[in-house]
Amino acid sequence: MSLAKNKIVFEDCKTSCVEIESFSILDNKSILITGGTGFIGKWIAEMVSYINSTSKINIKLYLLGRDIAKFKEEVPHLAEKSFMDFIEQDVRYLHDLPSNINYIIHAAGSPDNREHVSDPLKTIETFYKGTQSLLDAASRIQDLKKIVHLSSHQVYGKNETEQLISENYFGPFEGLNISNCYAESKRIAETLCSYYKNNLGLPIIILRPFAFIGPYQDLEKPWAINSFIRDAILGGPIRILGNGLTERSYLYASDMAYCILKSLIDGKIGEIYNLGSNTPISLNELAFKIQSHSATKMEILSRSSKENYLSISKLVPNTNKIAKDLNVKEIFTIDEAINRTLLWNQLNKNN
Amino acid sequence: MKKLKVAILGSGNIGTDLLIKIQRSEFLECVLFIGRNLSSSGMAKAIAMGVKVSDESINAIVKNSDLVDLVFDATSAKDAKIHWDILDKLGKIVVDMTPAKLGIFCIPAVNLDEVVEHRNVNMITCGGQASIPIAHVIGKTQKNVEYIEVVSSIASRSAGPATRLNLDEYVDTTENGVKHFSNAPRTKAILNLNPANPCIDMQTTIFAQVENPDMDYLQKEIDVMIKKIQEYVPGYSLLVPPVFENGRIVIMVKAQGLGDYLPKYAGNLDIINCAAIAVAEQYSKKINNIK
Amino acid sequence: MVKQILISDSTLRDGNHACAHQLSIDQIAIYAEAADKAGVPIVEVGHGNGLGASSLQVGLCKETDKDMLETARKHLSKSKLGIHVIPGFATIKRDLISAIDIGVDVVRVASHCTEADITQRHLGYVRERGKEAYGVLMMSHMASATVLVEEAQKMELYGAEGIIIMDSAGAYLPSDVQEKISALVNGLKVPVGFHAHNNLGMSIANSITAIESGAKILDGTARGFGAGAGNAQIEVLVAVLEKMGFITGIDLYKILDASDVAEKNVMSSVPIIKSDSIVSGLSGVFSGFAKHVTRISSEYEVDPRDVYRELGKRKIVGGQEDIIIEVVMDLIRNRK
Repeated sequence: MSLAKNKIVFEDCKTSCVEIESFSILDNKSILITGGTGFIGKWIAEMVSYINSTSKINIKLYLLGRDIAKFKEEVPHLAEKSFMDFIEQDVRYLHDLPSNINYIIHAAGSPDNREHVSDPLKTIETFYKGTQSLLDAASRIQDLKKIVHLSSHQVYGKNETEQLISENYFGPFEGLNISNCYAESKRIAETLCSYYKNNLGLPIIILRPFAFIGPYQDLEKPWAINSFIRDAILGGPIRILGNGLTERSYLYASDMAYCILKSLIDGKIGEIYNLGSNTPISLNELAFKIQSHSATKMEILSRSSKENYLSISKLVPNTNKIAKDLNVKEIFTIDEAINRTLLWNQLNKNN
Repeated sequence: MKKLKVAILGSGNIGTDLLIKIQRSEFLECVLFIGRNLSSSGMAKAIAMGVKVSDESINAIVKNSDLVDLVFDATSAKDAKIHWDILDKLGKIVVDMTPAKLGIFCIPAVNLDEVVEHRNVNMITCGGQASIPIAHVIGKTQKNVEYIEVVSSIASRSAGPATRLNLDEYVDTTENGVKHFSNAPRTKAILNLNPANPCIDMQTTIFAQVENPDMDYLQKEIDVMIKKIQEYVPGYSLLVPPVFENGRIVIMVKAQGLGDYLPKYAGNLDIINCAAIAVAEQYSKKINNIK
Repeated sequence: MVKQILISDSTLRDGNHACAHQLSIDQIAIYAEAADKAGVPIVEVGHGNGLGASSLQVGLCKETDKDMLETARKHLSKSKLGIHVIPGFATIKRDLISAIDIGVDVVRVASHCTEADITQRHLGYVRERGKEAYGVLMMSHMASATVLVEEAQKMELYGAEGIIIMDSAGAYLPSDVQEKISALVNGLKVPVGFHAHNNLGMSIANSITAIESGAKILDGTARGFGAGAGNAQIEVLVAVLEKMGFITGIDLYKILDASDVAEKNVMSSVPIIKSDSIVSGLSGVFSGFAKHVTRISSEYEVDPRDVYRELGKRKIVGGQEDIIIEVVMDLIRNRK
């Protein structure tokens, strides 16, 4: 069963990795990824594993996380790879990093907004202190080529325009919103990046992730698409909570991993890039698609506080900049993304 | 007399409050205050008090193994398990403040002499420290105890994110503790958070179903127990003495904190710390042959 | 567009408060069947304080959770089986797993109105099992609209598919309901609901105000059978909503029949607003305290109204029933 699961992931890496030869720059180089045991970390490890195993390129990967044992248990096929090294550490209390590191991907901190509202202080500490500790340690590394800081689309605030969000957009924050601690601490983390880039000359680029979907993403995470897929796997009904006209977009996991690695090579220092899919889909359409991709028949229920909404929330990136500078494009359509995710999770459940 | 050398692992509220209590103790000396972050407020307090600090977590003890006799583990259940693997090999005594349940359950007023024969002692839960001694007296004085139930109400502000997320573990551990010390066949624990401002003191009620209760004997033994607990928890008091009402025994106690590092309303945290200190002091007395 | 209102019937749960948790499985069977026939969408069953709450603190239940839920399950075919769950009383391992195994469809996870973060685990577990999860904020009169919105938003993030605020003390006037429900409807994505108590005679008026302010879920009980002065009468709710042009999916005649069945078979007396209940409502005391206050006050010969006043002053929350004895003892001491 886990073989079939791993095969899906491997094939997806292959599909997304359209310019494998461009990674030859990373040959014999070391990448550190913080938050390495999470969804993004696992996919970076998968993509590096794919590149190392199908080319002559040899990339070394340091995974920094708080629970390495859990990672080894969840993805033994990755943990056993010789190109992997582990650092068990809480990013907030980081002092020093291995001196041979050439690239850093800073992905530490949970985007789970349940955690943000239950423990806001920890959220703020992780993004503020964690980013500062990391950049401090990074500033003492001899041959550091690039740092990719993963921020969040939430730094943009609210978008009630019809437009796709460009990197220079700046929307209002809802005053009465308990999740603000996440967006605010992501903003201060970006400000820290700006300081370390300007005053210390660290080679930082910022990616602002939007929504992703794919294997390794916990279905219990409190986001619409995860809940829909979980509902579908449990046999339905699929429940749409809130305004079904809300628009989001979803970048498939292997496309995401490819873009992040590509940004290590082609990302321009000091620039900010949206990372996500630029194809909007409403929650209603999304639920309908997941329903139609499921083997069993199921209902879709709509649960909303209001009949009519004055505005529709639309959080979809304009991706022109990343497409141009990094020469990347979205390979997986939403239908393919849903299909692969459902398939993988079905296998995972039966495991 | 030689003071027992202790280290505190965990520089949060519990750890820092323990430190202040240890500074007062004639039997204990804190040689190392350990966290992961030198800039935390607990660390700042320790540094200001002139205590040796470290941000190296468990490694600080490994490196200074000769200096330390006993370790208070005030981290988390998950970390406490990892720490015990290491500390056990080093031959250290551990007073475990987390719900890891690795060592012997301890209620100082009941089994202090017994626990110091072990090297890992578990302090159960805050509510347990308040209710279990009373449950024990009920079990000891009454025949035919059918059921014991303990209910604690604490100030909302004294329950942090970890407590809130782990209410189930609190309930489960407290129920087991009550059963262990009272021998009642069935037990139940309930926890209420009360957000009133000013904050309420921790209040705990112990109920029991007993056929033909001996209330006089109970009253006498409860008074003895309260005095015994007050020796190590000065803020502990009997709020409602044993009454038999509606077919149930009802006893109500209150625990006010000492207001060391934590505020007075956090009696729930104070009581478990006081109990832990009592355990450590008992080790010290044992080593020094003091009765 | 015709608006649909979701009615949850808590006769067999809140009603347990009104009879010191002595509902028998026969009574549960009879009423569950009648409610099912009437097309009631959700039938809530259990101890008044919910799953795992049978205790000396809040009252021992005549029947076990298992027997109550299995009985109800057997007699419900169209209606969904619901339960009320308060973390601190019910644990996932001890109570919730087996309840869902028995076949519960709807789980309403409740906390005092300012303590929503204790519901994270339980709500998460219900969603993991694919069941319907709602968040319930009890004693909602004790928090401002702003605080209620924040707490409700937490529950929404934890997975709640709707948020119900309870006027557990029967303390609200329609203007309070309007203020709070409007704020919640505005601040939340998921539907908002209201659970009334009748201490000040406002249960139907408050429920209708809730609907007019945007609520989509209402709780009611047959004849108002519930804690203290009782709840909103479900048969009246159905009639009034029908008159106003709302759809409940409940057959009026059959819910009237079900209420008659309940009056005859389930309750020893139909709830009325007793003098004490009025003081309880004015003082903002949890309605589930009523039986305990009456009993202990008469046992120790103190005026129950003084007890309510004192409990209200101390801002005691649901679940703190043990404090009643202390308050009574205090009153006696001060009298001397």
